[in-house]
This record gives sequence, structure tokens and C-alpha cells, in this order.
Amino acid sequence: MGHTSLEKLIRLQRKTSSIRNICILAHVDHGKTTLADCLVASNGIISTRLAGKLRYLDSREDEQIRGITMKSSAISLHYAAGESEYLINLIDSPGHVDFSSEVSTAVRLCDGAIVVVDAVEGVCPQTQAVLRQAWLENIRPVLVINKIDRLIIELKLSPQEAYTHLQKILEQVNAVTGTLFTSKVLEERAVKEVEVQEALSEPSSGELVYDWSAGLEETDDSHLYFSPDQGNVVFASAIDSWGFSIHQFAQIYCQKMGVRSEVLQKTLWGDFYLNAKAKKIMKGAQSKGKKPLFVQLVLDNIWSLYDAVVTRRDKEKVEKIVASLGLTVMARDLRHSDPKVLLSAICSQWLPVSQAVLSMVCEKLPSPSEIGAERVERLMSVGTRRFDSLPEKTQELKQVFLDCTSEETAPVIVFVSKMFAVDSKALPQNRQRPLTQEEITQRRDLARQRHAEKQAASQSAENPESANAGGTPAVTSANTLTVKPTAEEEEKEHFIAFARVYSGVVRRGQRVFVLGPKYDPALSLRTLPDGCSAADPLPSVPHLACCTLEHLYMLMGRELEELEEVPAGNVLGIGGMEEFILKSATISTSPACPPFTPLNFEATPIVRVAIEPKHPSEMPKLVRGMRLLNQADPCAEVLIQETGEHVLVTAGEVHLQRCLDDLRERFAKIGISASKPIIPFRETVIRPPKVDMVNEEMGRQQKVAVIHQAKDEQSKYPEGVHVDSTGLVTLTTPNKMATVGIRAVPLPEEVTRLLEGNSELIRTMEQFSLFAREGKTLEISQKTLEEIQGFKSKLEGLLQGHKWRNAVERIWAFGPRRCGPNILLNSVEGYRRPSVWQCVEREKEKSEAVMLRDFDNSIVSGFQLATLSGPMCEEPLMGVCFSVESWEIKFSSQLTQQDSVEEDSVSQQALEADNNASGRTAQSIILDENLKKSKRKGDTTDCYGPFSGQLIAAMKEACRYAFQAKPQRLMAAMYTCEIMATADVLGRVYGVLSKREGRVLNEEMKEGTDMFIIRAVLPVAESFGFADEMRKRTSGLASPQLVFSHWEVISSDPFWVPTTEEEYLHFGEKADSANQALKYMNAVRKRKGLYVEEKIVEHAEKQRTLSKNK
Amino acid sequence: MSIFTPTNQIRLTNVAVVRMKKGGKRFEIACYKNKVMSWRSGAEKDLDEVLQTHSVFTNVSKGQVAKKDDLSKSFGTDDLTEICKQILAKGELQVSDKERQSQLEQMFRDIATIVAEKCVNPETKRPYTVSLIERAMKDIHYSVKASKSTKQQALEVIRQLKESMQIQRAHMRLRFVLPAREGKRLKEKLKPLVKVVESEDFDDQLEMVCLIDPGCFREIDELIRCETKGKGSLEVLSLKDVEEGDEKLE
Repeated sequence: MGHTSLEKLIRLQRKTSSIRNICILAHVDHGKTTLADCLVASNGIISTRLAGKLRYLDSREDEQIRGITMKSSAISLHYAAGESEYLINLIDSPGHVDFSSEVSTAVRLCDGAIVVVDAVEGVCPQTQAVLRQAWLENIRPVLVINKIDRLIIELKLSPQEAYTHLQKILEQVNAVTGTLFTSKVLEERAVKEVEVQEALSEPSSGELVYDWSAGLEETDDSHLYFSPDQGNVVFASAIDSWGFSIHQFAQIYCQKMGVRSEVLQKTLWGDFYLNAKAKKIMKGAQSKGKKPLFVQLVLDNIWSLYDAVVTRRDKEKVEKIVASLGLTVMARDLRHSDPKVLLSAICSQWLPVSQAVLSMVCEKLPSPSEIGAERVERLMSVGTRRFDSLPEKTQELKQVFLDCTSEETAPVIVFVSKMFAVDSKALPQNRQRPLTQEEITQRRDLARQRHAEKQAASQSAENPESANAGGTPAVTSANTLTVKPTAEEEEKEHFIAFARVYSGVVRRGQRVFVLGPKYDPALSLRTLPDGCSAADPLPSVPHLACCTLEHLYMLMGRELEELEEVPAGNVLGIGGMEEFILKSATISTSPACPPFTPLNFEATPIVRVAIEPKHPSEMPKLVRGMRLLNQADPCAEVLIQETGEHVLVTAGEVHLQRCLDDLRERFAKIGISASKPIIPFRETVIRPPKVDMVNEEMGRQQKVAVIHQAKDEQSKYPEGVHVDSTGLVTLTTPNKMATVGIRAVPLPEEVTRLLEGNSELIRTMEQFSLFAREGKTLEISQKTLEEIQGFKSKLEGLLQGHKWRNAVERIWAFGPRRCGPNILLNSVEGYRRPSVWQCVEREKEKSEAVMLRDFDNSIVSGFQLATLSGPMCEEPLMGVCFSVESWEIKFSSQLTQQDSVEEDSVSQQALEADNNASGRTAQSIILDENLKKSKRKGDTTDCYGPFSGQLIAAMKEACRYAFQAKPQRLMAAMYTCEIMATADVLGRVYGVLSKREGRVLNEEMKEGTDMFIIRAVLPVAESFGFADEMRKRTSGLASPQLVFSHWEVISSDPFWVPTTEEEYLHFGEKADSANQALKYMNAVRKRKGLYVEEKIVEHAEKQRTLSKNK
Repeated sequence: MSIFTPTNQIRLTNVAVVRMKKGGKRFEIACYKNKVMSWRSGAEKDLDEVLQTHSVFTNVSKGQVAKKDDLSKSFGTDDLTEICKQILAKGELQVSDKERQSQLEQMFRDIATIVAEKCVNPETKRPYTVSLIERAMKDIHYSVKASKSTKQQALEVIRQLKESMQIQRAHMRLRFVLPAREGKRLKEKLKPLVKVVESEDFDDQLEMVCLIDPGCFREIDELIRCETKGKGSLEVLSLKDVEEGDEKLE
């Protein structure tokens, strides 16, 4: 098994029919990479002795340390069976759930898959997942049952037991395939039924016969299943480097026993036994208590070999076995103290695993040219669009796919499934190669010359007159110049696109189109001239770019080999595409080519962390590193939030760890720290609850005198504030000039939602009235006007009832930021101000005398500030309506004049003082001429500062008190959580959900499978570590997905203390049982450095007060 | 000291003494450590958790109880609990290390929150997170002063942070409308105060939208009001010019 030359591989690339693109899929630790090692060793790339220990395809350091694969990597192998030679592009994929995105990228490029199953562990969650993925991508799998040696050595099964065990595993695998098949058939039937019902929409068909058969019987599924006699199953032990298929043993025994090999192949697996007397193979081994053929002929032999070599170490017997098998074992191996070495030396000759697996691959898996029409259609039709709806030219490309020719005329179609980063050192053009003889002499000459120069220089230093220093400095400077750029080059990460050619020949330097995932061929076909190519100058089309293919590589595990051209059907790497491709793309020479369907990812990213550099000055490096990471990882997401947090979203904890390592060591090269992201809250008020915490009706019970409220109610409020029992707050400014009366009312939930959804419209309205006040008009399109009208009527529909009479017309402002989900209502008697709906009713109301009162703006500003940060934990308010019930100003006219001029500057100062300044759009009041004139006169302000500032502060305080006078509640952001789980872990799923305050909405069974789909809501605050816990508790059988859905009021009152007798009985005096809302509130307050009502020590008597040596 | 040597000094354990001078006399009460501040802030509501005993002393460590006469003379009542409450509220005490630490920590956070609210990263126009500011403050070894207000200190911190990282106060967006006559003259004066001019429109009057440092606002306001004699107007478009919404890095 010599080293296969590159030329041979390149030659083979041209023969499409002899190419196999395969990937190895399995659950984590089932031996994918070990198996890949054995296959790699068969090509002489690594030593057979090291196969299984080296893990050649795990090229990353952390992969080697952790012992799991994290990136899928490809290698091209050569395999010769008889006369025919094959090129096998093998992709090894990770098995861990967190990296299932890597599996998706690998599966997309392949035509077949080797599914590896551990003989002891059987079918595991990821095995199911990869089978499903292979199914979804329409690729054909073959099965390798690995680690059979564990059955012998660890479990110490007898051959007979091992046989039944293997049978069971095979059944499990086939059961999974069967479910996939039935669910697909049922799905198709459902689609069909919908179509039928649409067709028969008129209920004329009274005698509609219901078809119970479900279509399962009609569809043939026998070819899907794994069965040794079909030749798509290999039994192996990759670590001991042996493996066999039934076929091989059938060949061996057909001569010995004189039975035809076809018969043997059929009967070697299954309930058959050998009748020694009759020399016949009979059925029914089990019922007759005979050894099945498989046990007798296959397993017994292997067992006796293990027994001789490993268990008993019987040298003579080993020699006998070796002789009878006709093998030659080196004396070195025979003497070796580790029996495993001898074992693998024997086995690798007797039943080489690479032979068994590769021959199965070549026979059973399709070549690129046999790509199915169904798969092509699925690849080409993006999203919900059907294949038929694609433009005609695009449909023509289907034939190109099916042909898969490497002819010059065929359009090039390449799919890039992921981008991966390599060090520039690893690139072939930068790699050190052995020097040629000429170069060596050249260098020698150079060194000599330098030596001579040095000597000359030293001489010249001795006698400075003869110094001719012209040459030397020039040489050195040239040297430094050449060194510098290479150093920079090494710093840079190079991205290589992991791709496959579906049609045509890709050449170096070729101009091609790069099609983004959202590219629409129909659109570009209209804009682009007919028959154009990527080399022509073209009008710009969305999601279409032109580029030149700079480097083409053959992927050889951790190495890359540079190629000049790659024909159809091959897997390749393309360099220099990082500018054009983000994560995945389609490359083609024809603009009619549709972008391929996006990859189906089994796991969506849900683990969120906030990332910060260790040193704040390294922020730009972090951002750059995160961009690179985003490109290099198919599944990671990075984003900057409004709060300034840099958030990284990954698929799981292990994935997160890898992303952080990548950031630290490759992409950003700085110290970073990851922490829990900041969780937003909202504050709101609700209607007074009718029942207390123990569900007893309030009101009838006598309130117990509470020591907690020793400080009397009114004393909480400072001077100048009066709160009456209905929640009306009246507050007077410090100079006693103005009084406002305000009441806070909860808005109905639907109204809040409506306001939240229409913030853009509100912003437009706000802008309009702002312009109107200045006497200008803002043009608003008819469509927007209609939308505003619709919004208004909807709002009117929702705000019904006595309390809200005419409320919509009376809206004064929205807040915070003038477009939020809170309302300021004008209930002041006798004050008519321009409505916020000006833009929709400008025609009719122009004539009416509506005037802004002075300081109208201060009231709005105060409201904006109050809604931006509430009293509970300075988070924005939501769903609160502040109704201004009274507003009196008693002051001399002189003061007005002076102050209203100053209002702007003053309001500014007030805002600054409140340090809540953000996003407010204050504006000046256009002043009357006479006001301006008189303004200079009264430039003296009273001791409380300018009046408008006082009014803003007063308004803000009044809103806060009004808010506090009502029952306050915290609102938490909620995720909707969709969990797929099998029936047996359902209980655990519920356990995790309820521990994290989740609420299950519904659960249903997925038709045709044993999977349940559970929908639940979960507070964002509880989601940190949720996915990890869920996976751990359910051993990976449940996979959650989280999507932000809405804000929800937390029902518990953060300020609750027991007041009624029942509550005392139930909770005790202190009520220190967990209060969810209080917990959240205090966490936020602590984070912000606000005062938290918390004792430094809980129990005075229990503190340790002495230091050690006293 | 390995061998226990008896000392002839009596040590009070777990006692914090609160003193108050009233009516020319000194009164003391014996409280538990770390509890008096909680009582003053209202977090602790149970008096028995604060007071060791309800009696009032003239010297706690010597165990000298105050005389009834003195008490009623000074406080006008002889209800010991009431007197204790008064002393607790107004007396002086030594703040324990734990109490001081928690107070400083709280102020430190508060300062960081204020800085984070006021400032942005000038490159991205996005705010920094509080935890990043906290770390930066630790890096420059900023020590919190308990006597100064947090806002004052925050402004100081911003100044110091500018030396080590990319940070600036979020700009304010303003719009002035100036009469044409004075427009030209005023523009020259405004120029050094303005950071970025976003748009400029000069027909019958000068209209300008620009970004300024919030610290200069008062100056600009003063300038415009004095120079134009009230004819020019100034309008705050936004107090904080920051990027809104989430951004996906791509």
C-alpha cells in the first residue's frame, strides 16, 4: 500500500463514474474518526500502526485534547478494486450535538453516507439525528457496526449472544429508518389530502370514501433498510483494524463448503443453519436450537482468534491460526508485549477494514453522475417555491445536474457549504518545500557573498578610507523589506470555501457569478442580457456578485494540494472567496442557476452569551474577530445589541467553548470574557387584585396591624405631594406656582400590543405635529395615512367602555421616546390642544381654535422621562396610561414671559439632572414677538430655578408617584420554547421547564413518529444554561429552540408583604419564601448600583465578630 | 500567639456603639454590628435585631447606665425605647468595614452606570456595557470617594477613561435657526463648539443641524440668546446620538 500520488488522484477526478463522495456520520464516540484513520492508512498517508490512535482528520489542537471531532474535514482517497479504480472523497463529521451544523454542511456535499453505530451502545440520539439528516438530504446510507471487539472483550458475550445483540441493533437502526419513511409518506398523504379537499371544496361528494390505507402499503420501502445480505452492512472493529461484510465470508466459504456464493450470501445472515449430515443449509436455526450460520462460520472464528491472541495469549495456537489463514506476521509483532499489536497485525491482513468498507462504498453508494432527479429538484427549489415555478431557463439546468458532465460547454455549478479558516502557513503556496539543487547552490553563493562582504566591511572599518559601503546597506534593507510582509501575512487568516462541483469544470482564474442565498434567478434573467457571462461588465443585481476563482485546492485532511482545474462531481476547496461569500453560496457561470436550498440545521443556535474584551481598548479587535468567527462557523451568530453588548449565539456549551477558543487564539487574539447577557424588563401597573396570595378574597378580612408598615403611609411622600385613596396624585412645584393632578391607569393588553407594533406610525405622526407646530407641513404618503387611520380606528375599538370615553381623541402623547407603548391622556377640563391625529384630520379641524397652552411641552417632557425609567428598577414602562386630571398655573404674567423663553435650556438642564437623558426630542416653542421683547426684563429667577424645569421635574415625580400608588408589577421578556422529545424523557423535560418557571402551552405527537412536540413559554431571565440543562437531563433526547415572543406580567408583587390573617398563617411574618418579581427587581437594581433594600447581615446574633488572633 | 494569654482588657464583641450628645451630656447605646445602617435605611424593621439592650448608657464599655434624671431632662421622656430610636436616628457611629464596603461598591456601580449611559464608542456610535466600564475603571485604579456625588465622579471618570480607551460623551443633536444678518458672524463663533455639522441651509435665514458635546450646550445656548437678542432659535433634536436597534455582524 504505497503512497498514492497526486497525479493519479487528479486523473481519477475526471472519471465521474468512479468518484464517490461520502461522509461518515454517527453519534459522538462511535468511532467515526478512527474508522476514517483506517481508511486513510490504506492510502499510505499514515502508518497502519498509528491508525486509530492518530486521529489524522482531527487537526485542531482542542479536537485532539478533548478527543472529539469539531470540524468536518475532507480527504481524497484512492481505492482499487480489481481493474477499476475509484476516487473517494471522504468527509469526516463531528458527532456531538453542538456541531450538527457541521454535519449538515458535510451531508450536503455528499452522495452517500457511512453511518457508524457502536455495537455496544446501539442507536443513540445523534444516530437518529444523522439518519434523519441523511434522509432529508436524500443521500443513501450504508451501515458500519463498529466496536465488535467490545462485545468480546468487555461484555464477554458468546458468539451466539453477540449474534442476537447485533440483530437487535440492526432492528433498531431499521426502525429509525422506518419511522422516517412512514412520516414522509404520511406527510405526503396530508399534502395530497389538502389538495384533494381543495379540489372537492364543494360538498357535493356525499359518498366520499375515506381511504384508510394511508398509502403506506403502496410505497415500497424494502430498499431503504439495512441488511447484511443486501451488502450494505459491515461489521467492524476500527481500533483493531478489521471489518468484513457477509460478501467476503461468502467468497471464502463457497469453495470450502462447495456451496454457491450467492446462496451463501443470502443465508449467511438470518435464521439459517448448516445441517452437517445432509450438507445442506436449512431454515429455522432458532426453533431447532442450532447455531445460525453466521455464528458458526463467522463469529466463532473471530472469537477464537481473540481468545488465542488477547485472552489466553497462546503462542502456538496463534501460529496455527496464522498459518491456516495463510498470513505472514512479522516476528517483531509476534514478540510484542501488547497483544493488541499482534491482533491488529493479524486482522489487518486477514480482514482489512478499509477493504470491506471501501468496497461496500464503491458498490452500494452512487457516483455523482447518478444523482436523483428528486434530489436535484429539492436542491434547486428554495423555500416554499415549487420547482415548477422556477423560470424555464433554470429548469433546463436540471438536466445539467443530472448529466454531471465535465465538458467545456456545460455550465459550472458549484455549491459552497461552509467557509473554514486556515493559517496562511498551511496554504500550499506558502508551504516550505524541499529546495532544489539549483536553489541550494544559489543560496550557497549568496551566503558566500555575504560572508565576503562582511569581511570586507570589517576590513574597511579598519581602514575607513577605502570604505565603499554602498552595497551592504542596500542589501540589508532589501532583506528587511522582504521579511516584513510575510510576517503580516502570517497574522492573517485565510478562508477556504468547502465546496463541490455539480457540473462543468472549474478552472483557476475563471470568472464566475457568486449567488447569495436570497438570489432570485427570475429577477436577474430579466435584467441581464441574454447569454452574458461573468467576465462582462454587468448591471448590479441583488445578491449576485462576480469574482475570479483564485486558488483551487484538493482537500487532504490537514493539508491542501493546489489544483489547476476540478471537473464535475468532486469536492474541493476554493481560496480567496472571503470577500464574496459569508457562510454558504452557489457559484455558477450561468445567471439562471438558482441558489441551492439553505442547509437544514438540526440544531439552531440558542446559547447566548455577552462577550467583552479583557482590556476595553481592544474593542475593535474583538469586533473584527467576531466577524471572522461568524464567517468561519456555519452555526454561530454574532450581533451587537442596542445596549452595546456583543452577543454570541451558539448551538451548545461545547460549541460555545470552541467559539471562544477560536476567538482567543485565532480570530481576535485577545483576552475575552463571556458572561450572562443583560436581561431587559418592563414596569407596569395592574388593576388592584381581588384575592390575596393565598387565594382568599380580600376586603372581608381584617387587616392585621403590620409592624412592617410602622412608618406611616403618608410620610413616604415628601412635602407638596398629595395622594388620595383613588390613586390621584396632586403635586405642586417647589415655588408653589403650578399644580398637576395625575392618575395612572393600566392599559388593556391588546392596546399595549397594538402600540408596540405601530411605533413607526406613531413616529411619523409625531413628526407631523412637530412640523405643524412650526408652521410647516410634512408630506405623508396616502398609504401611510390610511395605515394611521386604520391604527386609530383599531385603537378606538379596543378602548371601549365608560372609563375610556373619547380617550383616543384625548391622547396627548406617547412615550417613552415619543413612540412607546404608554399613553399620556389629556383629561384637563377646558383644555383643548391640537390632537396627535392632526395628520389624518387636517382638513376639517383647521378652522377651530385650538391653542397650545404655555408649558405644554414641559408636561410632555416630564411624561417622557417618567416612562423611560420607572420607579421599580429604572426600566422603561409599558402599558401604562397617565391621565392628567388637573393642571393649574397661577403666576404673574411677567414670570411666564421670562420663563417660557428659557424653557429650552432649562428643560435641558432638568434632563441632565435626572441623568435619564436619552432619545427625547424636545423642541422649542415658537415665541410670540412681544414675549421676546419683554424677555430681557425679568432675568431674575427664583431660588428654585427656572419654572419650566420645575414643571418637568414635577410632572415626572407626579407620574412616578401615580405609578407607585397603583399595584406595580414587573414584566419579563418571554421566549417561546419548542421542544422535540421522545416519549420516555417527557417527564424530565417537564421537570426542567417547571424548575425554570416555564409554562407548557401544549404538547402534541408528531404523526408517524414517537416524538412529542412541546410548546412552552419561558422567561428570558431563566434561559441562561437552559439548553445545556435540558440536554443533560434528557441525555440529549430533547432539543429545545427558543424564540423571543412577548412581554408578560409577572404575577407576584415585588413589594408584597403579608397583610391579611390568612397570609400570616401561610407565609409567616417575614414571608421570606421566594418572590420571583422581587428577585428580578433586586438583581437589576444591584446591577445598576441603585439602592437595594437588603440587610448586610440577616441575623445580628449570628455574625462572627472576632478576628482570628484575638 | 500559640499560647492563650489572658489579657486584662475587656473586649466587647459584636457591639457597635452609637453616641449622641444632648443637653451637654453624652449618651451611648449598644447595638449589633452592621445593623445600624440597615435600620437607618429602613431595610431592618425589627428594633430588637439592632439593639443589644434597650437601656441607655453613658459609657457602654464600662457598663455605666445613664441616669433617669439626665435622660428625662435631655430627651423630655423616660421611655427608653423611644430614646434609643432617637439616638439610633441621629447619633454618630463608626461605620463598620462591611457597611463601608457595600456602600462604596454600590457607588462604584452607580458611577459605572452613569458613565455607560452618557458615553458611546465613537467608532460604532454604540454604548459600552456597564460591566466593561467597571472593568475599565478598575484598570485605571479609580477609587470612589464617599463624600462626592456619583454624578460628579462619573464626569471625572469619563475624563480619565478617555486616555485609555475609545470613549466619548454621546453627542447632542441641535438645530439652530439664525437670522441671516447675524448668521455669518455667529457661525464663526459657534464653530469651535460644534463637533459635526450635519446640514447647513442658508437662504433667508441660516438653518443648521449639528452634533455637539453636551458639555458645551449651555455655552452655545448663551451665545445664541445674547448675540441674536432672542431672534435665533435653538432646538434639541436628540439628547443622545446613538445607534438604535440590534445589528447583526456580517
